[in-house]
Amino acid sequence: MKRNLIKLGMTIVLAVILTLSMAACTNSENSENTPTSQPTDSTQQPQGESTPNPDEPAWQLDTSPVDLTWFVGANWYAHTWGESFTSKYITEKTGVNVKFEVPSGEANEHITLMMTSGKLPDLISMGSWETAVKKLWEGDHVYALNELAEQYDPYFFKVAGDGTLKWYRQENGNTYGVPNDSYSPNLMHETGMTAANQTFLLRKDLYEDMGRPDLSTPEGFLGALQLLKDKYSEYKGQPISPFLAQGNVPYGMTDYLQNLLAVPHEKDGKVYDRITDPDYITWLKTFRTAYERGLINVDFLVDSDTQVEEKTNNARYFMMIREWTGMTAVNPMLAASENPDSYYIAVDGPQNSNGDSAKLFPGNMDGWMVTMISKSTKNPERAIRFLTYLTSEEGQRDLFLGKEGETWEMTNGKPQLKTEMVELLETDIEKMEKQYGILDTYWMMRNPVIVNQWRPEKAPVIKQMEDFANGQADIDSGIYKGLDPLGDSDVAVTWSRISQNWEEVLPELITAKDDAAFDKVFENFLARRESYGFDKVMEYRQSELDMRKAKMAE
Amino acid sequence: MFQYRAGQIKTFFRQWQLQSMVIPGIIWMIIFCYIPMFWLIISFMDYSIAKPLLESPFVGLKHFQDFMTDDRFWRSIRNTLGMSIIKLVLGFPIPILFALLLNEIRNFRFKRTVQSISYLPHFIAWTIFGGIMLNWLGEGGVINQLMMALGLQEREILFISDAKYFWWITYFSDTLKEAGWSAIIYIAAISGIDPALYEAAELDGANRWQRMWHITIQCIRPTIAILFILAVSGMLGSNFEQIFMLENNMNIKMAESLDLYIYNMGLVSGRHSFSTAVLFARSIVALGLLFLANYASKKLTGDSIF
Repeated sequence: MKRNLIKLGMTIVLAVILTLSMAACTNSENSENTPTSQPTDSTQQPQGESTPNPDEPAWQLDTSPVDLTWFVGANWYAHTWGESFTSKYITEKTGVNVKFEVPSGEANEHITLMMTSGKLPDLISMGSWETAVKKLWEGDHVYALNELAEQYDPYFFKVAGDGTLKWYRQENGNTYGVPNDSYSPNLMHETGMTAANQTFLLRKDLYEDMGRPDLSTPEGFLGALQLLKDKYSEYKGQPISPFLAQGNVPYGMTDYLQNLLAVPHEKDGKVYDRITDPDYITWLKTFRTAYERGLINVDFLVDSDTQVEEKTNNARYFMMIREWTGMTAVNPMLAASENPDSYYIAVDGPQNSNGDSAKLFPGNMDGWMVTMISKSTKNPERAIRFLTYLTSEEGQRDLFLGKEGETWEMTNGKPQLKTEMVELLETDIEKMEKQYGILDTYWMMRNPVIVNQWRPEKAPVIKQMEDFANGQADIDSGIYKGLDPLGDSDVAVTWSRISQNWEEVLPELITAKDDAAFDKVFENFLARRESYGFDKVMEYRQSELDMRKAKMAE
Repeated sequence: MFQYRAGQIKTFFRQWQLQSMVIPGIIWMIIFCYIPMFWLIISFMDYSIAKPLLESPFVGLKHFQDFMTDDRFWRSIRNTLGMSIIKLVLGFPIPILFALLLNEIRNFRFKRTVQSISYLPHFIAWTIFGGIMLNWLGEGGVINQLMMALGLQEREILFISDAKYFWWITYFSDTLKEAGWSAIIYIAAISGIDPALYEAAELDGANRWQRMWHITIQCIRPTIAILFILAVSGMLGSNFEQIFMLENNMNIKMAESLDLYIYNMGLVSGRHSFSTAVLFARSIVALGLLFLANYASKKLTGDSIF
């Protein structure tokens, strides 16, 4: 009897659990599917509102207060909306109050989790390379911007550059996101501003004290490191770290180093396997030799971001393969310190055996982040109008410069930042961003073509690096960005296995005891890569490249 | 039958204070442990997060076959077992020894202080404790400086980037952080022992060691057995946060545990079905281990969970 009761109880509990879980599923599916019908349903528009005019921005039609949540897919983004001068001004003007959300860890994981729950923030800005972006589009989680614009704000088509809309158009004819910092090759050729970020940096005082050694050949490179070890092994009582590669294996020691060595992306129309390039191998072996002789340590392969930052702020690196934009705050600080020559300058780094100058990666059509409007939003019409406003010249000016008369004024028909603001930019960027919120505080919709004309002249310690990068940028190479398969297709899984394996193999190569051991590890890697199905990846890259070339030709 | 049920309900209401403490736990378990089990179904599907569940095709055991042929999976099994066995063999007795030693201290204040200090690290999150470890073990860290000052090594060793140290680092750092905390349960068990037993033993001429062996250990044996069974069944789930903090590209060969593998495959690479399959298989093996440990303990000591 007792046994039967227990059995009965168990059955009931199980049945309840099953029903509950089924209900949980169907619910989430419903919530995912319902909003789809919204944009095509034009009766939803509030009554008494005039129809939007394609020649005028529609945000002026409705400036009642509304809250929009905005996910910024960068865990280091620390600005808020509503405290700074600019953000208050824009909220007053448009009625839109923004609430920023940032991921606690990785943006990709964070948004993936949000997708499973079916509840997304109103606006989403994510790195254009992140796998979740594609999933948001394919999974129908975000609105097609062209559809929303047609219905609520046709002015959008006027301000969103046709080129970028076309670049992000999907096979179904829809565009789901607007990029920031997107550069077309034509623009870069015209202006000479390439948005190239990559540089090879050296500490100026040490470099000059050493008599400006040549670092472009393996011998020169090793020689300079030897000199460093013998004569300058300490700085302010702490050991100097001879070398840093930003993002180490996946970025600094792979793509980035290959760009410094001008390793081509394609040869005779065929995608080139850059990892096997002889010059690249020679340089990896140079790093191995440096490690064997105790000239470099492996700290750059294991240090956390905080450790890197700490060393950078104390000028403890001798040389760095690093984006100059990461140094915009540090360099002025070092130049103002008691040792004013301890800042970093861009110089010629490792070069290939022909001595070609570097082919640095420029800005590109993909831009940095793409901003989307999620289907979870209750106010799609306000969201698209706000986006249109921010994309327009007026919005760009409001966001970048602030309010006329307060932070900037017209001189000779050109907006110019007030001198206090320019001073603040040089002395206290933090205060400028927190209190005024101008320049690059809110970069989510930044259009370089528009805002760069208003940018004040950069400090010389920053400009030197920027000019160097611009001079060596390979303007037409933007097309090669992100040729690798992403997502969860078979070929993408293969590629992620290979690249994760490479992350483990490269440290082994550098710490190999001699060149023979190096060769063995490398051969093993190539064989493993083959067995994972590398030829499929190459095929994918090729077809992707062919497709992009066709798009560019349009 | 009805009478019996009515009796149960009556008992339920009579014990309402106790029941109200249990029920939230049960509800929690249903929501967070049982309902999510339904999602194990995606390990048999090619689930894509962008689509509704029912649109994903069933693929049978494909993902299970996939991970069985992945050398990285086997590597992570080896690492998990390696780290767990070290922890079980060398780590499990430490809290017991600590509790026994603490029990022998007669100075009450000293005892309390030692105990408090010993369990403090437990309250520090691994994110912070891991950071401290990285500092100690890293370039210019305490350990390197000490070793160099003592002349034990010439060049700085980045312990954390040398794979061969990794298992030992996890063992030592885990013991350092958790041993004091784990001892609490033994201390509690020891304090429940009837003092009359000791007095009787003393009268019979038992010395300290004999009292410890024949009374203290014998009385806390069931506690030890239960914790041992739980430790064995948890062998495949090594401490994720700890390894996540200490792992890097240089030591991943010895560091990637099953949990980290599941995380890397699922959240990092976006292969949700695949990692769910691994998780599913791991849970089944863990369940098997639980039964095995329970059976062994029952046979050997007579103490068991069920």
